[in-house]
Amino acid sequence: MSADFTITKGLNLPMLGAPGTNVRSLSAKGTVSVFPSEFQKLKFKCLVEEGAKVTRGGKLARRKDLEGFFVCSPVSGTVKAVNLGERRSLKEIVIEPDGSDAAESFQSFTVDGVLRAKSENVLAVLLESGLWGLIHQRPFDRIANPADKPKSIFVNGMATAPFRPDAHVLADGKADAVQVALNALTLFTDGPVHLCLSAEAKGKKDALTEAANVQVNYFSGPHPAGNTSTHIHTLDPVIPGDTVWTLRVSDLILMGELLLSGAFPTRKRIVIAGEGLKEEARGYVDVDLGMSLADVLADTQAEGEQRIIRGDTLSGEAVNPAETGIFLYDQGFVALPEDKERHLMGWYAPALDQYSAHKVAPSHWLKDKLFSFGTNLRGGHRAMVLTGIYDPYVTLDIMVDPLVRACLAGETEDAIAMGILEAEPEDFALCTFVCPSKTDFGKIISDTLDLIEQEGI
Amino acid sequence: MKDIKKLIEEKHDSVRSLFEKGGKFEKWYPLFEAQDTFALTPPDTTKGMTHVRDAVDLKRVMFTVVVALIPCLLWGMFNAGSQYYHYSGIETNLFATLFRGAWIVMPIVLVSYIVGGIWEVAFAVIRKHEINEGFLVTGLLFPLTLPPTIALWQVAVGISFGVVVGKEVFGGTGFNILNPALTARAYLFFAHAKDMTGEVWAAAKDGATGATPLGLGASFGGEGLNVTDALADRGFTFGSMLWGLEPGSIGETSAIAVVIGAAILIISGVGSWRIMAGGCAGLAAAGVLMNLLPSEVMFEGEMVKATTWTNVPFFYHFVMGSFLFGIVFMATDPVSAAATNTGKWIYGVLIGVVTVLVRVLNPGFPEGVMLAILFMNVMAPMIDYYVVQAHIKNRNANLRKFTYAKG
Repeated sequence: MSADFTITKGLNLPMLGAPGTNVRSLSAKGTVSVFPSEFQKLKFKCLVEEGAKVTRGGKLARRKDLEGFFVCSPVSGTVKAVNLGERRSLKEIVIEPDGSDAAESFQSFTVDGVLRAKSENVLAVLLESGLWGLIHQRPFDRIANPADKPKSIFVNGMATAPFRPDAHVLADGKADAVQVALNALTLFTDGPVHLCLSAEAKGKKDALTEAANVQVNYFSGPHPAGNTSTHIHTLDPVIPGDTVWTLRVSDLILMGELLLSGAFPTRKRIVIAGEGLKEEARGYVDVDLGMSLADVLADTQAEGEQRIIRGDTLSGEAVNPAETGIFLYDQGFVALPEDKERHLMGWYAPALDQYSAHKVAPSHWLKDKLFSFGTNLRGGHRAMVLTGIYDPYVTLDIMVDPLVRACLAGETEDAIAMGILEAEPEDFALCTFVCPSKTDFGKIISDTLDLIEQEGI
Repeated sequence: MKDIKKLIEEKHDSVRSLFEKGGKFEKWYPLFEAQDTFALTPPDTTKGMTHVRDAVDLKRVMFTVVVALIPCLLWGMFNAGSQYYHYSGIETNLFATLFRGAWIVMPIVLVSYIVGGIWEVAFAVIRKHEINEGFLVTGLLFPLTLPPTIALWQVAVGISFGVVVGKEVFGGTGFNILNPALTARAYLFFAHAKDMTGEVWAAAKDGATGATPLGLGASFGGEGLNVTDALADRGFTFGSMLWGLEPGSIGETSAIAVVIGAAILIISGVGSWRIMAGGCAGLAAAGVLMNLLPSEVMFEGEMVKATTWTNVPFFYHFVMGSFLFGIVFMATDPVSAAATNTGKWIYGVLIGVVTVLVRVLNPGFPEGVMLAILFMNVMAPMIDYYVVQAHIKNRNANLRKFTYAKG
């Protein structure tokens, strides 16, 4: 089964620094870290102490509010440190690998066998390994509740935001892992499992386009055609009271490797890109889970001060590479030059080297040109003045101006009626990008979603 | 250029600490910030989840509106000068006309900018927020809506009212309900009616008076002539009003200058073409409807003239008075206009309709566009409310379709 959809709204940023398709391989030097803090808002109890021996797949921490959900070690070795973060939350567990291959074994499944397996057994493996944390649910984009039955499951295999990884490069040579994970997902819903791919991949023959037992959908169009919210809105919109689950292809691969082999996965493929990296470094990297980000990015950065962004340029988080490592959930990192340069009469000068989506800027009329994007705000914060300029960038059936006004006024009921539950902050990233008043829409939307979640629908 | 930039940067940085928290002139930071970011773009970097931004900021948007107003300003000066010499009975050349016009108009513009600017800075300092570029537009729009004969103290009082009551009491730019420039004009219109009515606007020369086309039309008795002939009799043909060498407010007389401004706003995407198109459609439709009304009605057994205005061809409404200026520059102020796209159409159309209603059916006011825009400014939130409700209804219907199709 496959279906095609064309998204007309949105915008592709003509951005320099795109990754190549080359794949390098790197291994951890020294310690490896596990970050329970990557599962945001969840509380964990640490099960190990400094000096304890752990095996690959061994349990390090237990989620306090969900029976059977553990955080596991990707290597066998000795616990070197347990670091706490804010309010004594469990931030990081540092492990010194011992080089042995001692591994816990989880129940394993064959590609076809998993279709006949009991869903409880698959659930138990995913929970016990902690890879369940890769499955998110909408609304509110939190970790899926295993007690729910979602009306459908969406797997995102697209990359329209700069620079998410091409799912087809990630899945290269992993056909079995992808298929076993997709098969496992079909156990958790009575509805369809949707695999959403870029229309450019149509006709290719690889692990994703030939996936069985799921509905393959091809989306074409500019960003946010590749956002999960766009796919859900097009195929099976979230009505208050509904639950859908969401994953990305990178998540499928980790889950698939675990289910096939019964051993906790140790490696994953990520993308590193952006103008802040040397040109030859921009591309895909096979890395060890938990390895230090500073090691991954060693000798790759261009000269000058760079901002390292976990995720993509439009909806990522700025991180300090020395303090973090590769999360289970990571897909890639972007490096952008920190741009604090001031320009003379910038509001009046043509500024042909700065991209704009607005017709009022001369650079808008330069078609087919790629631009350099620094982190400069390119203006000052002002009250929101222009109206009606945001709607062309949101693919959901949402009127942006009234929704944002409702959010700012704290009118959660109005916001729900206008469709905020279909959205995630990342869906409004382009609005933030184009806003001449430099308003942060992502924060407004995420604050309101948090408020609604607290209040309960 | 590089050297200038470096020099400015160094000079600014050398005094920056005086204006920052704890500095001697901490209170005046908004003034410093305005000057600093006027000369050089701010060095701020992005925070939050979106790490890159578009090159356009509010300064560029507002400045584009100012650029779009320049044809109207230049024509307004030329017209003021030409009216001055016309009523003085002096033949003169183009340069002298423009110079005389500038002599009349520039003080009005300067007073508006200076007095309004003082208020703007005062509120920015008290409220500790940035000086908003929107004032660049308000400060120029307002003088263009005034007759060249206006007294400078009236300009000062008017812009003070517009900025303080029209904008700052609501919380400043972005929060105002009414267009500040139009509020200022409305204040003068009602408080100093005899200087603003448009019936006997002197042509920028003491003692000489010349009626505007609208003033003529409104007071036209209709003996023997129809309205267009009566206007032509006084030298106002469609063609002459299109060019706009006639008594009137400074910026509005020339339809051609306004259309140039409209083109700049529409091509740059800064002004809403929906509001402009809706306004023109509303004006034309209402104008045609008025033509269909009988010009005489039975009143107490006698046939009497209902109003002399109903016969004006609809396209005259575009070039007489300030309709085009109002719909292009005033109605499109995004803060006081409707915010939704459908709402903008409705808002525009109703401005056109109300303008004609006031002009034709109300004998009290010759011009209706100012009142029409202010009225629709007040109505805009309600229009938006109904558009949003309709959208929610539509949205829910679409979602329900999904469940049925599946179930």
